Amino acid sequence: MKFLCVPCDSPMKLQTVGPPERGSLSVVYACPECGYEMAMLTNAYETQVVQSLGVRIGPAGAAAPDADAPAQAASKCPFTAMIPSADGAQAPARDSDPVRWTAAAEARLANIPEFVRPMAKTGIEKFARERGSLEVDEQILDAAREFFGM
Amino acid sequence: MKSYHDITGDGGSRVLDQVLEQRARITAGLAGVRHLVAVGSGKGGVGKSTLTLHLAGALRARGLRIAILDGDFNGPSQARMAGVEGALFVPGREKVALPRTSNGIGVFSMGSLIPESEALDFESAARGESHTWRATREFALLGEVLRSFEWGTLDLLMFDLPPGAERTVQYADYLGPRTSFLLVTIPSEVSRGVVARSVAALSKDRHRVLGYVENMSGYFCRDCNAIKPLFVSPEASALKIPCLGTVPFDPELARRCDTGIPLTDLPDTPVGKALDHVAQQLLDSLEKEAST
Repeated sequence: MKFLCVPCDSPMKLQTVGPPERGSLSVVYACPECGYEMAMLTNAYETQVVQSLGVRIGPAGAAAPDADAPAQAASKCPFTAMIPSADGAQAPARDSDPVRWTAAAEARLANIPEFVRPMAKTGIEKFARERGSLEVDEQILDAAREFFGM
Repeated sequence: MKSYHDITGDGGSRVLDQVLEQRARITAGLAGVRHLVAVGSGKGGVGKSTLTLHLAGALRARGLRIAILDGDFNGPSQARMAGVEGALFVPGREKVALPRTSNGIGVFSMGSLIPESEALDFESAARGESHTWRATREFALLGEVLRSFEWGTLDLLMFDLPPGAERTVQYADYLGPRTSFLLVTIPSEVSRGVVARSVAALSKDRHRVLGYVENMSGYFCRDCNAIKPLFVSPEASALKIPCLGTVPFDPELARRCDTGIPLTDLPDTPVGKALDHVAQQLLDSLEKEAST
């Protein structure tokens, strides 16, 4: 979708994307010639269709707005709701000891797609606990790969 | 006044650019895969997943490097059948390691993540209107899987497609011209008719169809050690694509699928021999195609 300032015959530029509100995004465009601003207000279907492409909407470098934010206040992962049992808080009590992640292991965790990250994290922490470790480092990750024959 | 095509770029949303970047990362991730084969049908319940897994096993037994992507996100079955239910997704330095079967086949299946008691669900602001966006979101998910997992160097990556002729075509469009299709039917006119529609739909956009396999082509009776008819279907197949073989139904095969045990120790049974024959036919078709 592109926007044209008709009086200037000039393409408008995206300025800001407002925080989502009940599935609607407020996307402000401005004409670089005359400075005229307009806002595109999406309905829930339009928001969802664009989000379903797996893209971020907003000026380059801006944080991605998340239309599902109210339902996912605890996570920025748009796929978290796909994995209802992935939340570590639902783990059995005996597994409730917090597990630390080293910076290097945390960096590797970020390579996992968002939709599997919560489940993967829970599974790896369980793997670590079973080996008597309350810290996930790169050695634990490598051990998990070896254990599962990957 | 300028038209859409007079304007370069999209004013800053970069939606199209991001989609193109996603596609480029998928292409890069699959660069080490020699053949992409999608196993589909159009018809449900004909044994696509079973055939995919056991063909993969027959190919693996030949020493080939094989992986399976269970494309049925809503009804994944490969995790159970391949014995990778509950497998961890472990991050490497760049990508996620692919769970493997005991005989070395890489398997991605949503069934490893989501227990069978739960359904795949997407949070959405447009809940109740999923017909307007769900397929798009599922394909975005497929793209993320293709970009994020370590496919590495493979001889074959097999896609186990979900049922539905429309889904077969959507996968063909998404996966592009590198992908060849193997269709599965059973010896019933109803099934052949549905598969014929899939062939027609795929042919419209010139997607490559290697041929079909007739699954459940009789059943193997272990008591009398003979193959007996399962369907009464005297008509020869009207499918105008090559038949790569017929595979009888074997209750032992079904039992092993339920429990995630590989078929590797059944090579001398009729179903083992049939799968081996189809595997060779498939390889021959792929090599023939690659040489043209």
